[in-house]
Amino acid sequence: MTRRHAFTIAAQGIGGLAGAAIVLPAVGFAVAPIFHRSKERWEAVGPLDDFVVDTYRQVVFTETEGVGDAGKTTAYVRKGSKELGENPNEIVAISNRCAHLGCPVRFVEAAGNFICPCHGGVYDFQGRRIGGPPVRPLDQFQARVRNGQVELGPRYSVTSQLEPVRARDPGEFTGGVWEYLYPPRPSTFPPPSG
Amino acid sequence: MKPADKQAYLEEYEILKKKGKPFFPYAVLKDSTMALIVVGVIVLLSILLGAEQGPKADPTSTTYVPRPEWYFYFLFELLRVIKPPELVPIATVGIPTICMVLLFLLPFYDRNPERRPERRPIATTVGCLTIVAMAYLTYLGATGGSPTEIEMKVAPQYEAGKEVVAGAGCLACHKIGENGNNGPGPDLTHIAQRVPRAAIVRSVQIGPGIMPSYRDLPPRKLDELANFLSSLD
Amino acid sequence: MRIPDSIVPAPLRRPAKPGEGGNDKGQAPADLKTSPPERPSDVQRVSDRAKEAPADVLAWVDQRAGASGFLTGMLYRKVPKGTNWFYTLGSATLFAFIVQAVTGVFLAMFYTPSPTQAYASIAHINNDVFLGQFVHGMHKWGASVMVILIFLHMGRTFFFGAYKYPRELNWVIGVVLLILTMMMALTGYLLPFDQRSFWASIVAINLTGTGPVVGPYLADFLRAGAELGGTTLARFYAIHMLLIPGAIIALIGAHLYLVVKLGTTAPPWVRAGKPKAAAPVSQLDAGTEGNGASPAR
Repeated sequence: MTRRHAFTIAAQGIGGLAGAAIVLPAVGFAVAPIFHRSKERWEAVGPLDDFVVDTYRQVVFTETEGVGDAGKTTAYVRKGSKELGENPNEIVAISNRCAHLGCPVRFVEAAGNFICPCHGGVYDFQGRRIGGPPVRPLDQFQARVRNGQVELGPRYSVTSQLEPVRARDPGEFTGGVWEYLYPPRPSTFPPPSG
Repeated sequence: MKPADKQAYLEEYEILKKKGKPFFPYAVLKDSTMALIVVGVIVLLSILLGAEQGPKADPTSTTYVPRPEWYFYFLFELLRVIKPPELVPIATVGIPTICMVLLFLLPFYDRNPERRPERRPIATTVGCLTIVAMAYLTYLGATGGSPTEIEMKVAPQYEAGKEVVAGAGCLACHKIGENGNNGPGPDLTHIAQRVPRAAIVRSVQIGPGIMPSYRDLPPRKLDELANFLSSLD
Repeated sequence: MRIPDSIVPAPLRRPAKPGEGGNDKGQAPADLKTSPPERPSDVQRVSDRAKEAPADVLAWVDQRAGASGFLTGMLYRKVPKGTNWFYTLGSATLFAFIVQAVTGVFLAMFYTPSPTQAYASIAHINNDVFLGQFVHGMHKWGASVMVILIFLHMGRTFFFGAYKYPRELNWVIGVVLLILTMMMALTGYLLPFDQRSFWASIVAINLTGTGPVVGPYLADFLRAGAELGGTTLARFYAIHMLLIPGAIIALIGAHLYLVVKLGTTAPPWVRAGKPKAAAPVSQLDAGTEGNGASPAR
């Protein structure tokens, strides 16, 4: 070990430390939002009697706080239907965000379907994909009834069998092996149990 | 490239360079003229077309039809025509990534020392095909309208059926007149010439192949839809 | 065309031929007592010095910076025979980038990157600020012009085979610049925060999310969270204003360095022709040898 060699290693080591001391906090700063989960938020969207079983009512509520209008979103809400095997005491709240790439879908009463204007995705009455490129059914919002008011909570995604999983971004497949290829993110909420 | 080819190129380049002219002022004059033209075009576009804002961002909208900026229309069109969900990741990240990698590595797999376009048939053909494909996809992306509107004029008794068809998303896969997508479903503009009413109703209810089924359509709407489509001859 | 001496640095100027440039009385007088040599008047002396002033300034800087070799090498280097108008596309792209940078800086003086105030700040720029809509328009259409020019430049390079040996590295840098330019277009597009910007950006972010394994985290990184939130716009603004332009400027520097160092190619259909054959030995005279090379002018 010559003096020169020792100094070379020391220069690289100390320089590396100094560089890391600058870069790592900055990178951590940039990457931190991936691991941050905002507080769970429930918002009332209307009295229970406003909603029916055979069609959807459109409601607007705030999904993200602090960003004004940009944090609002639209949901389609109805009561659970016994014919479809759902619990009639429960509320079904379907997100208007297409599961292909996030464009706003429209519920078309005439057809009983949801249509996406961007790339032609079509979903059936329960939100299952029946046509076009969407990769899974429409997302849903957790829903509960408090004091006669229907309240909507965090978003969750569903598998093609309509089983709840943690919220995924549009374009991500759900269920089976896809749960590992598109892993759940720490910034999302646990799905409801049933 | 073989070392002999490299050497030959360098020698030829030396000669061509000696015969050339100084960068300043000959090439700089051309560059300055081009710069003037560029800034002139930008100023002209700004004055003529302006920079009007659209309506304020509204995530709650259900009627807005999102579109990207024009230079992404070719990717947008690719996403529109690839319907099966299994192929979606290929269209969104697969194809663009492969294209970028091919572009990146171009000098490493194109080892031909020849530079004249007429003597590089593969490169020239692939280049021209790529340009034509991108231009065509861009054009398709630009003219693809919203899948919820039919502009065709129809007799009053078929207006209701036209609305049902427009609202049911048929235009996402079928062309009707000037509207709709030219695939993967067949063009419906003259469908009544080829398919009887009963067959139309059957298709709508079954949803053959990748077409979704509309069996949940209320009978009256189904009737109106069938009437409209049967009138298209 | 003769470049005036006031621009060319002193070391490069053509030295005066003996006997030229002086006054008519070039001959030295036979008798210095009876006909003393002409002295320049004061006015003439000052005007002579003034004419030399630009050269003096340049010489002063040059003695301290030593850049004249580099600058003359860059400015007066030869471009190969046959260089035509296609070769202006690269510098046109650079110029479009400069237009974007300058108009972007002025827009940044008025823009607020907050989801609740962005739209209003753009409205303010368009309606109230002097020449606001004009500068905004230049930036908006300049983006389209730059995308067109960079694709044309890439096409020219491809069809001329200018990415082959020894310019492969330059091509790779160019492709990175292309990708960075498209990312600038993407991040800049969200900033006006109107309907079109918003939805196009939502779709673009979701596109990144479809990549397996890392996609979801990448989308979260871009959005600063699971949904478009308070810091998403600020994040896009920082990427658009600071991160990518820094990378672009560094890479443009590398790209231009390689262009100057390696030279631009000649159009592929220009042939060098055989170099002039050496004259047969019998024609060479001992006395005329070395007279062959006179400076071509």
